[in-house]
Amino acid sequence: MRKLIFITGIITVFLILVFIPGKKWARGHVNYITAVDDHPLICINCHLYNSNSHLISKIVNRDYLSPINIAVSNDGKKLYVTAQDADKLFVIDVAEEKILNKIDVGHKPYGVIIDRPEKYAYVTNQWSDNVTVIDLAEMKVVDTLSTGNGPAGLSFSSDGSVLYVVNSYSNDLTVIDLAEGVEIKRLNTGNNPTGIQLSPNGKDLYITARRAIIVPYGEPMATELTLVDDESQRLRSFLPVESAYLMENIAFSPSGDLAFVTLIRPKNLLPTLQVERGWMMNHGFGVIEQNGDGRIIQLLIDEPQAYYPDPFDIVITKDGKKAFISSSGVNMISVIDIDSVRNLIAESTPEMLSLWANHLGVSSRYVMKRIPTGANPKGLTLSPDGKYLYVAEHLNDKIGIISTETLTRTGEINLSTSERVTVLRRGRQLLNNAGRTFQNQYSCYTCHPDEHEDGLVYNMASKDMGRNVTNTQSLREIGDTPPFKWNGKNQTVYKQDGMRFSTVLTRTEQFPYNDLDAISSYIMRGNPYPPNLQFNPDGILNEVQLRGKKIFERTKDNFGREIPVNNRCVTCHPAPYYTNRQPFDVSTLAVSDDSIVFDTPHLNNIYASPPYLHDGRAHTLEEIWTRYGRDDKHGVTGDMTKIELNEMIEYLKSLRGPAYESSKINIQNASMNH
Amino acid sequence: MKKMLRSTYFRITVLAVVIAGAVSLGFILRSADNSETILTEKSPSTIELPVDRAVIPSLPAPDDATKAVPVFGNWKNFTTKDGLPSDKCYCVRVIEGKVYVGTHDGLAVYDNGKWKTYTSKDGLAHNGVVSVDYSPITGDIWIGTLGGLTKWSGGKFEVFNQFNSGMPNDLVYMVICDGKDVWCTTGGGAGHYDTFTKKWEIFTEMNAPMHEPWTYGVSAGDGKIFIAAWGGGVIEYNTKTKQFRDYVDPDGFMEIDLQPDDGVVHDITTATSWSEGILWVSSYFGMSRYDGKYWKGYFKEDSGLASNFINFLRAEGHVAYMCTDNGFSSTNGTNWVTYKKNENDANGVAVVTIGGVKKEIPQSPSISHNFIIGVDGQDDVMWVATSKGVSRGEKLKL
Repeated sequence: MRKLIFITGIITVFLILVFIPGKKWARGHVNYITAVDDHPLICINCHLYNSNSHLISKIVNRDYLSPINIAVSNDGKKLYVTAQDADKLFVIDVAEEKILNKIDVGHKPYGVIIDRPEKYAYVTNQWSDNVTVIDLAEMKVVDTLSTGNGPAGLSFSSDGSVLYVVNSYSNDLTVIDLAEGVEIKRLNTGNNPTGIQLSPNGKDLYITARRAIIVPYGEPMATELTLVDDESQRLRSFLPVESAYLMENIAFSPSGDLAFVTLIRPKNLLPTLQVERGWMMNHGFGVIEQNGDGRIIQLLIDEPQAYYPDPFDIVITKDGKKAFISSSGVNMISVIDIDSVRNLIAESTPEMLSLWANHLGVSSRYVMKRIPTGANPKGLTLSPDGKYLYVAEHLNDKIGIISTETLTRTGEINLSTSERVTVLRRGRQLLNNAGRTFQNQYSCYTCHPDEHEDGLVYNMASKDMGRNVTNTQSLREIGDTPPFKWNGKNQTVYKQDGMRFSTVLTRTEQFPYNDLDAISSYIMRGNPYPPNLQFNPDGILNEVQLRGKKIFERTKDNFGREIPVNNRCVTCHPAPYYTNRQPFDVSTLAVSDDSIVFDTPHLNNIYASPPYLHDGRAHTLEEIWTRYGRDDKHGVTGDMTKIELNEMIEYLKSLRGPAYESSKINIQNASMNH
Repeated sequence: MKKMLRSTYFRITVLAVVIAGAVSLGFILRSADNSETILTEKSPSTIELPVDRAVIPSLPAPDDATKAVPVFGNWKNFTTKDGLPSDKCYCVRVIEGKVYVGTHDGLAVYDNGKWKTYTSKDGLAHNGVVSVDYSPITGDIWIGTLGGLTKWSGGKFEVFNQFNSGMPNDLVYMVICDGKDVWCTTGGGAGHYDTFTKKWEIFTEMNAPMHEPWTYGVSAGDGKIFIAAWGGGVIEYNTKTKQFRDYVDPDGFMEIDLQPDDGVVHDITTATSWSEGILWVSSYFGMSRYDGKYWKGYFKEDSGLASNFINFLRAEGHVAYMCTDNGFSSTNGTNWVTYKKNENDANGVAVVTIGGVKKEIPQSPSISHNFIIGVDGQDDVMWVATSKGVSRGEKLKL
């Protein structure tokens, strides 16, 4: 007994000796990571959910479906749903509310369309650069059609002989001859196009774009709608929609006199102090008049002190009376009374219409109702009889059913067998939700669509207005690239998204710690880069890229002189993240910048992140050196010929996400194999 | 003395002196002939056409010798008074019923009887527009300027230059569309832009058989790209094999074309054009025609060519149209039609040369100016860009 007491005492003393300093160390560690001193000391919140281990990741996470777009059969009995994270097309029996088929398609399916005879379904695979053709009688894949990079929205020509596919990453439109099954031409579009719609008269295709035209900071922004003539299959014109971006989708009134496009109006030229006054980001729709001179009128769906962020899809009832807009950032459907919109436009002078574009009070004239949905409503479709609206609840793995008569959510079709929400899923839901921003003005998605970046430059005002103008950075796979912020001021994602986030950006209560842990985990581990199919489809560099790599890694210039170690590209940008995570001065400091050094940015998928440099002054990769790096402080390039510079840039464009450079190579292979 | 005269050595020496004298005389005469070509101008009526090379037994006559060379007349001239931004016109292109004229002060577009001007304020890379082409697939217009390349698509101008893209150089001399590729020749090499992949590939003396990166003209045909390179003759690029081959003047002389019909007439070339299996090449020293097997050279002195100083040429069907510093010529390789304006009035003449026989057709008015730098035609209408506006001619029924 004494022996037992003695041993217990020894162990207790030992544990006390370990626990007290251990806890103290842990407290200090957590305080450093979170930049606060009261974050709970729960090790698994970080070390389990942020683990790089495949095994642990497999245990703590689960696969989700993430439905994004829906098509409906002519008789309304079947729904076809693209499940983005399952790489499948779900075929659903509406009456039975059950899944009839799950058809394997390519990587990250996006859009789905059914041909008129209802023989085939066409599914765009955004991460495979192709379209899957499915025989609907046999319910099996019968063909795969090549497209440009990142196929998203799709439409048939008026005679059904041609399939138009919007390439969201390569900014163009693939025109496919369906008889031959080949791409016959590729037309330019606006920046980051997604939605496409053929006008009711069958003459024009309207294509939306999400990213704005790149302009120097301070100049007004605009994002382009692209008009394509269906008969000649040529570009008709670009319509700049001023002060707006993230135009995800478009719909026509049945009479064809109006087109409606979802949009966001960012106030990126205002200091972010504006958030606490409201009206920093506004969400609404554009009305493009098809008669007359094609005016574009912008109206908001926001209200004073209540915003409805991230409008994604829009559909209009057959009688042309109502429009439904999925407000993804607040889990709502906004119902628009189109007659009221017409009346408002008719009675307003051009000056008044210009005012309405920024007016929070006018939406009460035409927003009939807000209908709550499951998490993150995205794609919408109406039943052929117009009685039901089907909603792809993207982060809820359900199809919401809304009665268009009662304007209530009357049911749901569950696509998944499990309701379990993992920490990463919770983090993703938080990132896509505006609930933690003052008056719900915006979500993380608003400036980081698809967890990437929106291409805009913001005035991130702190105590000094007009200073530190910065280009939005991508959130993809940043977990292993600390520190964060352009000047490396934040050592962790927890700090970036914690107190600082609420002080500078959301202007409301900061995330509760469990939510902070979830969103940080998702940002650090949850969103991989898309495969770089445009510039490096198979991981094998071509001759030009290999020559560029050699230049990138060179130690001597063209005159045989040794390049100082600190001025070699590869010193600061080593694989796999192409950053050494160290601060450096590359002589691109602006007079309005407080810092004197920059956090070395990672270069994975750098081709997809224009503009460049911390304040977005370089519109292309070339401009980093042709316009702003002439003093050879951002690497030695002054001795290069134009061919050599081109080759180095081709190499830079070939860089992929770190996962593709390591054991997760199967992700890219999966894309290639579809 | 007699012994000496009977000496074999003496006979050989005399024979050698005679041959050397004859050869020297030939050189002198040839040289004089050549300098006269550049420095003086003869009236067409005073030119004595030497032996037509088409009948030289060692060379086959062009098989299109019997095909007619159209004669254009009823010229209508357009200048700043008619709405052009400048009288200095660098190029002209007829595209789907509209006429695009590149001038020193912008791009002028003639549509439904009216001119409209576009400048750098509208989005052009530079006001000096020297080349225009279009993609029949997409309808996009590509505009080569003295300060970069511009794509005009869906009513929007997009600028490519050496700073914001992989373009070789901002001094663009010519642009053409070949399928999904856009080729341009510049002061810093030639390059092509793949409109699908959005990638540039450029060629200079570092990676192509060029003498230097200065490239003037470019044309496409038969799966090949033909680049007119300063000092490098013609650079042929096979778009399938991605291999180069070059055509230079085999005699290597810069001042004269010592050996006729041995290859391109000069290493300094200004334009190429491929049509119906024939490659036509212009230079400042004459013109060449290549049928894939034989080269043939043409000079002012031995053909109906207006001048050996050829700024540009374009072949349509079996006829090549040459823009020279002293008139405008067209040929099928055998017969010629050359247009010249009188010095002191608005009238001029079209000189038709068939089988060495010339016939003059008075033209009133004539082309706008004798310094011609661009040409294009469509539907029996010919447009030429001159130093004094553009001229529009109609095909005459003779």
